[in-house]
Amino acid sequence: MRKSLSVILSLMFLTVAIADDKYEKEMKKNVDKISECKIANDYLKLANNFERIAVAEKDKWLPYYYGSFVTVLASYIDSSNSRKDIYLDKADKFINAADSLSPDNSEIFTLKGMISQARMQVDPMNRWQKYGADANNNFAKAMQIDTLNPRPEYLIGVGLFYTPPQFGGGPTAAKPILEKSFAKFEKFVPENDIAPNWGKDQVADYLKQINEGK
Amino acid sequence: MKLLFTLSFAFLLYSSIFSQTKITGKITDEANQPLPGANIYIKNTYDGVSSEADGSFSFTTDEEGEFVLVVSFVGYQSYSEYLTLDKKEKYLEIKLKEESTELGAVVISAGSFEASDENKAVILKPLDILTTGADADIYSTLETLPGTQQIGETDGLFVRGGSASETKTLIDEMTVQNPFYGSVPDIPSRGRFSPMLFKGTVFSTGGYSAQYGQALSSVLVLKTQDLPDKTRSAINIMPLGLGGSHTQLWEKSSFAFEGGYYNLAPYFEIQKQRPDWDKAPESFEGSANFRFKTSKTGMLKAFTSFSTGALSLYFPNLDSLPKKDFYHQKSTNFFINTNYRDIFWDDWTLFAGYSLGVDNIDNEINNNLANTDDLFHTGKVTITKNVLSNTFLTFGGEFQNLDHTNSFNDLEGNINETYLAGYLEADVFFTNDFAGRIGVRTEHSNQLDKTNFAPRMSFAYRLGVYDQLNFAYGKFYQTPDPDFLFFSKNFEFENADHYIFNYQYIGTDRTFRIEAYYKNYNNLAKGSVMTYPYFNLPDVPFGSNGKGYAKGIDIFWRDKETFEYIDYWISYSYLDTKREFKNYPTLTSPPFSTPHTFSIVAKRWIQPITTLVGLTYTFATGRPYFNPNNQEFLGDRSKNFQNLSLNASYITNVLGNFTVIFFSIDNILGYHNVYGYNYSTDGTVSAPILPAAHRSFFIGMFISLGETNPY
Repeated sequence: MRKSLSVILSLMFLTVAIADDKYEKEMKKNVDKISECKIANDYLKLANNFERIAVAEKDKWLPYYYGSFVTVLASYIDSSNSRKDIYLDKADKFINAADSLSPDNSEIFTLKGMISQARMQVDPMNRWQKYGADANNNFAKAMQIDTLNPRPEYLIGVGLFYTPPQFGGGPTAAKPILEKSFAKFEKFVPENDIAPNWGKDQVADYLKQINEGK
Repeated sequence: MKLLFTLSFAFLLYSSIFSQTKITGKITDEANQPLPGANIYIKNTYDGVSSEADGSFSFTTDEEGEFVLVVSFVGYQSYSEYLTLDKKEKYLEIKLKEESTELGAVVISAGSFEASDENKAVILKPLDILTTGADADIYSTLETLPGTQQIGETDGLFVRGGSASETKTLIDEMTVQNPFYGSVPDIPSRGRFSPMLFKGTVFSTGGYSAQYGQALSSVLVLKTQDLPDKTRSAINIMPLGLGGSHTQLWEKSSFAFEGGYYNLAPYFEIQKQRPDWDKAPESFEGSANFRFKTSKTGMLKAFTSFSTGALSLYFPNLDSLPKKDFYHQKSTNFFINTNYRDIFWDDWTLFAGYSLGVDNIDNEINNNLANTDDLFHTGKVTITKNVLSNTFLTFGGEFQNLDHTNSFNDLEGNINETYLAGYLEADVFFTNDFAGRIGVRTEHSNQLDKTNFAPRMSFAYRLGVYDQLNFAYGKFYQTPDPDFLFFSKNFEFENADHYIFNYQYIGTDRTFRIEAYYKNYNNLAKGSVMTYPYFNLPDVPFGSNGKGYAKGIDIFWRDKETFEYIDYWISYSYLDTKREFKNYPTLTSPPFSTPHTFSIVAKRWIQPITTLVGLTYTFATGRPYFNPNNQEFLGDRSKNFQNLSLNASYITNVLGNFTVIFFSIDNILGYHNVYGYNYSTDGTVSAPILPAAHRSFFIGMFISLGETNPY
C-alpha cells in the first residue's frame, strides 16, 4: 500500500516535472528564434507562439513579456505608422497582462518604457512630451526596483543617442549612460535560460560606434 | 516495476505518433479576404499556428477529447468553437468579425474638424494649433480651415455666412460667454485661453450634436488636458511682457498656476502703429488649474482664470476733422470651470459640470461712460450608456443664466435670461461601415417665454479603409442678442437648418475632404438697435421676420507625403450667402462674407538648425461694406485680401533647459490690405479700415525649467 502510494506520488511529480520541462523547452525554442527574425511577420508569428503559451500557462509572466517584446520589435521594422500603432496597442495589452501576473517587475517596467519610446518615434514632434515622460517614468521605476538591471540604461542611452544635441541628446550625452549599462551587463547573470537577457551586444555596438566616431 | 515503466513509456511514445489530429483551414474576414497572421490554437495547450499569407493554416495536436479552438487577431473579435479531437483530420473555414470599437469603425464626422493626440487619424494635431499662423492663437489657426472667413477688423469666428455670435466656444462641454479679451472698434483681440490648456479641439462648421445649442452656425469644443505627465516650470520672456508657470504633479492629482504681465508700449515704439494710441494695451492675467483622479476612471477638474487690462486711443472724428474721439477701455474677465467625469456600473458615463464667467468692460468715449457687465452661470449633466451592443445613448440637461447689463452714462438696461435645455441622442453602429447619430434637443428661453424642439441627425458610411461619405441635417436655435431684448420681448428663437454632404479621405499622410452645405435662416431678429455705421437708414420695427441663406463648398487637402519633410494643407471655401437681419432694408450679402477664400499652410522641420518653419498664405476676395453714397445697401466691395506670414520655432538649450524661441512676422509681401471704409454721417468723408500695423512681428522665448532631456 505504502509502496503504491509512493509510486503514485512519484508519478505525479514526474508529470509536473515533465510539464515544467515542456514549458521551458517551448519557451527556450521561441526565445532562441527571436534573433532569427528578419521581417515584421516573423516577429508577429513569434508573438502568436508566445500568446499560445501565455494562454495555456495562465500564471507565467514571461510568455506575455516576450509576446510584447517581439511585437515592439515588429513595430520597429514596419514602415507604416498606422500599423506601428496597432502593434504597439497589442504590445501594451501583453505587457499589462504580464504586469498583473508579476507586479513590480523591473523587466516589465523596462519594456513599458520601450513601448513608450516606440510610440514616440511614430510621431516625435507631436508625441515627445507625453511619451518621452512616460518612457522616463517607466525606466526610473525599473531602475528603482532593480538597480542591477542593465536594460533600462541601455534604452535610455539609445534614446539619447538618436536625440539631437539641441534637445540634450547625441552620442556624447549617450556615452556615459551606455557605459554604465555595459558595466552592468558585464556582471549580469540571467536567472535561467529563458529569463530576459538581451541588449549586451547592441550596447557594445553603440559604444563602438561612438568611440570610432571621435 | 521496471517493466511497467518501460511499457508505459513505450505506450506514450506510440500514442504521440499515432494519435495526432491534423487541423487545417482558412481564416478570412467577412468579405472573404484572407487574413494572414491570425493566431489559431487549441486553448490551454501549446498547439497552434499563425495563418499564412493566403489565410490558410495547418497544425497537428496530440490532445484527444473535447477542446476549444481559438482564433485571435488584432482588430477582430476573438473566435472560439468546441472541437472534438479524435485523430480525424479537420478542415475549418473561419470568418472573423471586425471589432467595432477598434480603429476600423466608421467615425461620424460631417461638418467637423478634429485636432487631438489620440492615435487615430485626425485632421489636425494639437501642435498644429501652436505652430500655425503668426500668433499661436486657436482662433487664427482655425481661420486656415475651410468654412471660415478672414475678418481682420473684428474678433470671433465667422463660419459659413454666420456672424461671430453664431459661433459658440465650449470648454469641457460648458459654454463660455466671452472667450476673447475686450476689444475696441476695428481692432480685434485674441482668444483669452492658451492653446496649451487643451488636449483636443473639435471645430464644427455645422450639423453638430444635440448636446450643443445656442449656436446657429458653429461650435468650437475644447477639451482640457488631464493629469500632466510631470512636474515642470516654465518662463516666457517676450518684448511684450513676462510670464511664468508651474505645474506640480502628485500621484493622483496636480496643481498648476500661471501668471503674466503684458505691456505693448515698448513694442509699439519699435513697430509703427496706425491707431493713435494714448496708452498701449497693458494687462495682467493669472490662472490656476487643479486635477484630481478620483478613481481609475474618474477625473475631477477645476480651472479658474482672471485677467484685467486697460488701453486708450484716439479715433479720427470723421464728422469734424481734425477733431479726435478719445476712447478708453478697462476690461476684467473672471472664469471658473469645474467638472467631474466617471464611469459607473461598467458602462454608465457621467459628466457633471458648472461654469461661471464674469466679464466687465468699461468704456469711456469722450467723457461718456459705456459699460457692459455680464454674469454668466451654466451647469450641465450628461449621461452616456451603452444600451445595445452597437448603440450608445446620451442624454442630459443644461442650464444657463445670463445677467447682462448695459449702461450709457445714467441710462441702464438689464436682461436676466434663464435658458434650459434637454437632449437625447443615440449613436448607432448599424454595421462596422455605417453609423448614425440621431438626436433631439429641446430648449426653453425665459425671456422669450418660448420652447423649441430641434431634431439633429448625422450619418457616416464608409466606402473603403480610408474614405467615407457623411450626411448631416439639423435644426439649430439661438435666442436673439440681449441688445434686442432690451427693447422688445416679442421675438421668436432665431433658427437655421443645416444640410451637409461630405466625402472624406483620411489616410496616414494624406487627407482630402470636400463638403457641400446649404443653410436656411429663419426668424432672425430685426430692428434698429445700433444704427452705426448704417446712417440714415429707415427705422426698422422689432420683430422676428429676418431671414437668409448660405450655401457653399469647402475643400481641404493635407499632405505630408509628396514633399519630403514638408507638411502642408490647402483650404478653399466658396460661399454664397444673403441675409436680412438687424436693420437691413433688403436681403443682401453681409460684410462678414465673401465668395472665395483660399489659404495654404506649409511647415518644415529643419533638422540641422532644429527649427520648425511655417508659412501661411491667405487670399480672400473683397467683402461688402456700407457706403451711404451708394443707393444699393452694402453695394460696395473692398479690395481683395492677401497675407503671407511666417513663423519659426527654434528649439535649443538655455543653461541646460529646454527652450523654444518663437519668431513670427506677418504680411511679408507688404500688401496694403483694406478691410472696408468708415464714413462721416453725411457721407462726404471716408477713412479706410486698416490693420493696426502694416506689418507686425512677434518674438518670444519659452524656457521649460529642469526639462533637459525630452527625447
